[in-house]
Amino acid sequence: MSSYKIDIPPTALSTLKSRLENAVFPDELEDSEWAYGAPLADIKRLVARWRDGFDWRHEEQKLNAELPQFTRDIEVDGFGTLNIHYVHKKSERGLGIPLLFVHGWPGSFLESRKIVPLLTAGSGDARLPVFDVVALSLPGFGFSEGPKKTGFSFTQYAEVSHKLMLALGYTEYVTQGGDWGASITKEIARRYGGEHSKAWHINLILAGPPETQDPSSYTAIEKDGLARLQEYKRSGNGYYRIQATKPQTLGYSLADSPVGLLAWIYEKLVNWTDAYLWTDDEVLTWVSIYWFSRAGPAASLRIYYEVERAGQGIGRTSDSHIPTTPLGFSHFPKELGRIPKAWYHLVGNVVFEVEHDSGGHFAAHEKPELLVGDLQKMFGKSGPAFGVVLGRNGYDG
Amino acid sequence: MSVELPFQISIPDSKLDLLRQKLALTEFPDELENTGWNYEEAKLNQDLPQFTKDIDVNGFETLNIHYVHQKSSLANAIPLLFVHGWPGSFIEVRKILPLLVQSSPQFPAFHVVALSLPGFGFSEGAHKPGFAPEQYAEVAHNLMLSLGYHEYVTQGGDWGYLITRIIAHKYGGKHSKAWHTNFPLATPLNFSVNPILFLQHLFTPYTAAEKAGIERSKRFEKEGQGYFHEQSTKPQTLGYSLADSPVGLLAWIYEKLATWTDSYPWTDDEVLTWVTIFYFSRAGPAASIRIYYEFIHSANGSQPSSFEPTIPLGVSHFPEELRITPRKFVHSVGNLVFQVEHSTGGHFAAYECPDELVDDLREMFGKQGPAFGVVPGKNGYEQRIRANL
Repeated sequence: MSSYKIDIPPTALSTLKSRLENAVFPDELEDSEWAYGAPLADIKRLVARWRDGFDWRHEEQKLNAELPQFTRDIEVDGFGTLNIHYVHKKSERGLGIPLLFVHGWPGSFLESRKIVPLLTAGSGDARLPVFDVVALSLPGFGFSEGPKKTGFSFTQYAEVSHKLMLALGYTEYVTQGGDWGASITKEIARRYGGEHSKAWHINLILAGPPETQDPSSYTAIEKDGLARLQEYKRSGNGYYRIQATKPQTLGYSLADSPVGLLAWIYEKLVNWTDAYLWTDDEVLTWVSIYWFSRAGPAASLRIYYEVERAGQGIGRTSDSHIPTTPLGFSHFPKELGRIPKAWYHLVGNVVFEVEHDSGGHFAAHEKPELLVGDLQKMFGKSGPAFGVVLGRNGYDG
Repeated sequence: MSVELPFQISIPDSKLDLLRQKLALTEFPDELENTGWNYEEAKLNQDLPQFTKDIDVNGFETLNIHYVHQKSSLANAIPLLFVHGWPGSFIEVRKILPLLVQSSPQFPAFHVVALSLPGFGFSEGAHKPGFAPEQYAEVAHNLMLSLGYHEYVTQGGDWGYLITRIIAHKYGGKHSKAWHTNFPLATPLNFSVNPILFLQHLFTPYTAAEKAGIERSKRFEKEGQGYFHEQSTKPQTLGYSLADSPVGLLAWIYEKLATWTDSYPWTDDEVLTWVTIFYFSRAGPAASIRIYYEFIHSANGSQPSSFEPTIPLGVSHFPEELRITPRKFVHSVGNLVFQVEHSTGGHFAAYECPDELVDDLREMFGKQGPAFGVVPGKNGYEQRIRANL
């Protein structure tokens, strides 16, 4: 294990700058706003800022100051050793519940930035549990190495995550995940549940319909959630379809053009959030992590291909082995969609559920207090998952 | 009546310099003989007589349209409109053009018009949303009229199929007299509409070719349509990549050139010429993909089943086409009078199999063919002067 500081080489910074200087923009149809994708004015403004004014070194230093980071080699069956980058912050008091935070796409370890201080805080209400937080960069994302062979799917992402926790001395732990993190933590609960994964919490619930359905029994919220899901499939998952079939073809663009990469990700940052007021520098920091990622931006797309090939894509519930590990859900209304309660048994053993009236897909970034509040309730003294981790219940002694 | 101006492709050095910068080339490729963009540009200008003309479109702005136009030496050759698709362009007419305009007692001759669809090649693109396939059809039709071709026939594949089908429906009979396609997107037969065909299809076993074709179509749907979904929902988002990254644009198109053809031995320069046309297109590469979005969002989003063009239809089947439907379904496309099966060839038929495609057109419109003489006074053969006895 080594401690890690993000330190992007100067050549990478100057290459980025010269690409931005040579940027060629498309035109745009009149009054099209967001209908055809990310608007030209936004992208031009962001590119101009990225080129002149955005201070990556400053952002880098802030990240290094806020998030203690490390790297460590993890052996993955059939894939050799991967060097994994992760954030690890222990609770400031008591015995923190070991919590693994798993991001998705186009997310990264950066999504843990706001919740880490809240989860680990020593000050504040002593009635609330505290956590030791581990937030890895998934293989192929952020500053983790990417796999070199095909076939790296949920099994492998779960294995890396689990082995990382064990390596840190956490034989028992809990997890929090959204986007791919939800599926990966489900796999963790399946494979390592009971003995190691003691409870899991997600903010994205997607599972296929059960064999028999009774749509007339769905509540208004559930119907709306399904309608959002339908709309997502109709107009919002083009990226999924290309990433799941031809990630390499798309990868050339994202690796070669910071403008293309920015647009590709920015569209999701806006479309998938609930009127979140992104600052330009916030967006650029987020996208820069992709641009400067160790494996390159094309690598991050491959999870879609591998998951689909393994028959595990969204909406597919291919296995009948549903984890029995206690599960908590937080619902944010602007998530990509949601499934009716009647389908929950396809996901897991729901012991905790919270409904919010604001927030979207990137819950940890948009609504850190709400998400942390949910975790504190779920794992707190009167919560359904209190004390699941032996000897580390989030309180003193 | 808008003025026709002759056109030569002439990409400015500044644009070439920027491309080279992006590709980090340190050497000007034209230093080598007979290669490089300037060489390809000159060849294109030599092979393809090109022009531009302003064309009105109802409800939209006037668009300046680039097109290839070559008349046969035979005065009463059949006027033929060739319509490309994506990621194609006017370049797809390059090999069939010299064959089609040939005059012979053995086969009909054609006058050929091959436009750059709006947003492609050197045609202007629409600037307002809603420019759907119907509008593309209107541009093509108005172009033919403006060239004095009030009666004509069409050939099209990919978007060219849909656009020429709309032409056949809207302008068929009076103007469009017959249409030929190598990409018949057929819908399943409906018992109430075509009871006999429906039953025939039900009880006729599929041929080996049909079975292989159905498998191929399924694979295409499962693995090959990602581009379609992105282009039809977020073309602008993708457009930034295609506009800014020549490498990204190359990969995006090259993948189709390789996977949609039947082992066609692309040379690198062939691929690069094809892609460079997109890179230097007048409206930029992002504009070309908007047709997907507009198609999905237009009133006739999916195959308009209300369209039943009655003019004669010819179909050429190439085995490595993207979607292959059972032969009986093709009757749902139009008034099928001519159908040919080939044993080789893919999606870009005019480019991969120019001889076969031209043979098919010559057969369909030839003296023994089902569409002989569809354009009155222009049957593609030498007029024999009858002696006044």
